[in-house]
Amino acid sequence: MSKPLAIPPKRALASKEATLFKDLLNHYETKQLKKGLKTADQILKKYPEHGETLCMKGLVLAHMGRREEGIDLVKKGVRFDLTSHICWHVFGLIQKGEKNYEEALKSYTQALRFDRENLNILRDAAQLQTQLRIFDGLVETRSTLLRLRPNVRQHWVGLAVAHHLNGNLTEARKILENYQRTLKNVPDYDIEHSETLLYYVHLLEEIGDLDEALSVLDSNAKTRAIVDRTAIMEIRARVLTRKQSEEAEHAWRSLLEHNPDCYDYYRGYLSNMGVELGERNCCALRVLKEFSASIPKATAPRRLALTISVGDAFKELAKPYLLTGLAKGIPSLFADIKSLYKDKEKQQVIEDIVEASLTPTDPSSSTDVEPTTYLWTLYFLAQHHAYLSRAEKALSILETALSHTPTLPELHLCKARVLKRAGDYYGAARCVNDARLLDGQDRFLNTKCGKYLLRAGMPEEASTVLGLFTKKDAPSPGADLEDMQSLLYLLEEANSHRQYGKPNLALKKYMAIKKVFDEIDDDQYDFHGYNLRKFTINIYMRLLKWENTLRSHPAYVTAAVEASKPQSSPLSHLFLSANLTDAEKKAKKKAKKAAQKVQDDKKGTDKGLEATPQKDDDRDGLKLLASPDGLEQAAKLLHPLSTFCANNIDVWIAIYDVAVRRKKLLQALTALNHARSLDPEHPELHIRAVHLKKTGTSLYSKLLTYSLSQSSSLLTPSTPTSSYWTHIP
Amino acid sequence: MNVRPIRVDDLTGMQACNLQNLPENYTMRYYLYHAMSWPSLSYVAEDHKGRIVGYILAKMCAEVAEGEEPHGHVTSISVLRSYRRLGLAKKLMIQSQQAMCAIYNASYVSLHVRKSNRAALGLYRDTLGFTVKDIEKKYYADGEDAYAMHLPLK
Repeated sequence: MSKPLAIPPKRALASKEATLFKDLLNHYETKQLKKGLKTADQILKKYPEHGETLCMKGLVLAHMGRREEGIDLVKKGVRFDLTSHICWHVFGLIQKGEKNYEEALKSYTQALRFDRENLNILRDAAQLQTQLRIFDGLVETRSTLLRLRPNVRQHWVGLAVAHHLNGNLTEARKILENYQRTLKNVPDYDIEHSETLLYYVHLLEEIGDLDEALSVLDSNAKTRAIVDRTAIMEIRARVLTRKQSEEAEHAWRSLLEHNPDCYDYYRGYLSNMGVELGERNCCALRVLKEFSASIPKATAPRRLALTISVGDAFKELAKPYLLTGLAKGIPSLFADIKSLYKDKEKQQVIEDIVEASLTPTDPSSSTDVEPTTYLWTLYFLAQHHAYLSRAEKALSILETALSHTPTLPELHLCKARVLKRAGDYYGAARCVNDARLLDGQDRFLNTKCGKYLLRAGMPEEASTVLGLFTKKDAPSPGADLEDMQSLLYLLEEANSHRQYGKPNLALKKYMAIKKVFDEIDDDQYDFHGYNLRKFTINIYMRLLKWENTLRSHPAYVTAAVEASKPQSSPLSHLFLSANLTDAEKKAKKKAKKAAQKVQDDKKGTDKGLEATPQKDDDRDGLKLLASPDGLEQAAKLLHPLSTFCANNIDVWIAIYDVAVRRKKLLQALTALNHARSLDPEHPELHIRAVHLKKTGTSLYSKLLTYSLSQSSSLLTPSTPTSSYWTHIP
Repeated sequence: MNVRPIRVDDLTGMQACNLQNLPENYTMRYYLYHAMSWPSLSYVAEDHKGRIVGYILAKMCAEVAEGEEPHGHVTSISVLRSYRRLGLAKKLMIQSQQAMCAIYNASYVSLHVRKSNRAALGLYRDTLGFTVKDIEKKYYADGEDAYAMHLPLK
């Protein structure tokens, strides 16, 4: 144990106050905030410059909702006592509450300098390091924790995970093996042990020691130490395939019997035969037919067979598939098979089969097609023709169907989609509203209706409709959907405002999308500790990977690109000068009203340490749109996309637009070259090329010449378009 | 449709599916909590493009009285309207139940359903074999009662 440093004189308290300080810590631990506050004041009466007490008082105040006052005190306290681990720990807690993980980690590191073996601080530091992906530091922290408390099981697993994340798989394996040697008397059916073993097997698989992975898996499956049967079967099949073992086929077959609707298992089974899923191959077709026969309830093998068969074989398989679907009235039948239309021949075969089903083969027979089958067949044909851009044909079939049965919502929805694609947004919204009125309890129809109203530029009507399913106590339907992180709604609402001339409101919603992703990013924080306690490590490792690429989600990409435009696109002057004066005045008035101070909570209830969101004093997004640091914000928004969306030309154009206005010419040039490599004839690219040339000749000609000469290799002429580049001075 | 155990990157799709279908919605944190605590109990159904068209979000109940056996609970299950009549809900439910049994030794599975939701009630009772155990007054935020339903797994 390291020796505690001598107490500096200004930290020392008389014995009465020293006792009070202990009480203060206790009150805080037990969340008796009012008592804590009183005790702190008692100490401060005699020692007004006692850093640790000031910090603790600040912390208590922050918990009581008096955040700013509290933070001021904490900062003051730290200044009075720069070598106290308590002061730095409190400061770190406050920063963590603000999601300022980097600064928080700095404070924790300071705290650890003065109290190297404080378990709470070490654990928090490890979580911060994981959040920030500082893995070498994480290994160090987890090693210290294990050294201090080797009898705590999660410390072992924590260190193994740290090594794993840091790329040292061999060390991770060693730690896990040592850990298993420390275990005694593991109870049967122990889920935590089971999960740990599954993690161990996964690690072995990743290292490539397949024999060991398999033997650990098999022996522990036998003794029921690993209890997750599906996981056992999946890993077994995967490892056996990699080992090219003869047992692999049987392993995949068992999985298929366990869940015959899982495409991954068919993929595995076929790839073990050397065939890719979806590849035309007669052996594969035979296998799928066998599975269709032996597992009649499974639709997957029959559907997969349609993809890989051709000619008469296809016809033979398609007919029963389509006719059963129509007879059962499966609404998704068309959506299910339309990917087959890539093959024109199949498309024709499908059309023939479905159309023929409407006319009885034997004219003398009196058995007509069942009315419901008839209806679903018309529905199918309408979608078929709509998909092939035969809008008139589709609409006339829908009219027939609707006069037969006007109460089937799907028909109205289908009509809406045809009209929408033909450009009749109002007609489309009306039809989908008809569908909604036929089944008011169905939120699916309600959501669709809201979406179509937004597409038609009717946000108020959309809000009324969507409000039928949102929480009644929410400030507005939109606010509830935003709280519930509905990306679909936010994106539709934002796009609608953008298209109908409200760039401020659009920007507001795009930024709300950004916020959702920030929240999901923050969500992982607690799991850095939680999953270790639960020993669910495999899923946790996947969580970290997923969070790393979270912002590649299409909703984020659209939001980032669109949100950057008002600040940076060639048309940005239109966004910013559009009649904002009147509206601006209104916004200012509203802002004043909203700026009423949050009331102090006198009861001393715990409000937690998380920074509460400030009241929105910019509901119309006008301030946001005119914000002076808009360009910097836009750059931050786009930053993650340069790696995630390297093949998206809109992203590179947006990066150019922002970079060139931030006077980052080299960045701008690189972005434009990326865009050019993706599509040299893209119209937006030409506009930027001209823009760059103009920018270059006027304001930054010298600088640009310099950067061009520095980066001439980027500009090697390769296509006719490159003449643009060579003309730049 | 492809029916399989969840992956972490399914969670946004599940959340979107839930928001389109049901009035009871949750933030991502709650989906993460399920996935991180009981990674093998939740399943999804996806279309050819990988879009989530149905899901079951399930957990084990922690508060078990002395001597009582653990049981599973379906937090949320739904299938997009346009993907109904394929038996997806049943397939999702069966996979989840098997996992509850095999991994956690669950003796039964429970769920709540709105009293007015006759379609869902029919599915749980007639297709999946659940029975009504209790009525929970004002279970839902809007004041509606819920049927508490059970299905024995042993």
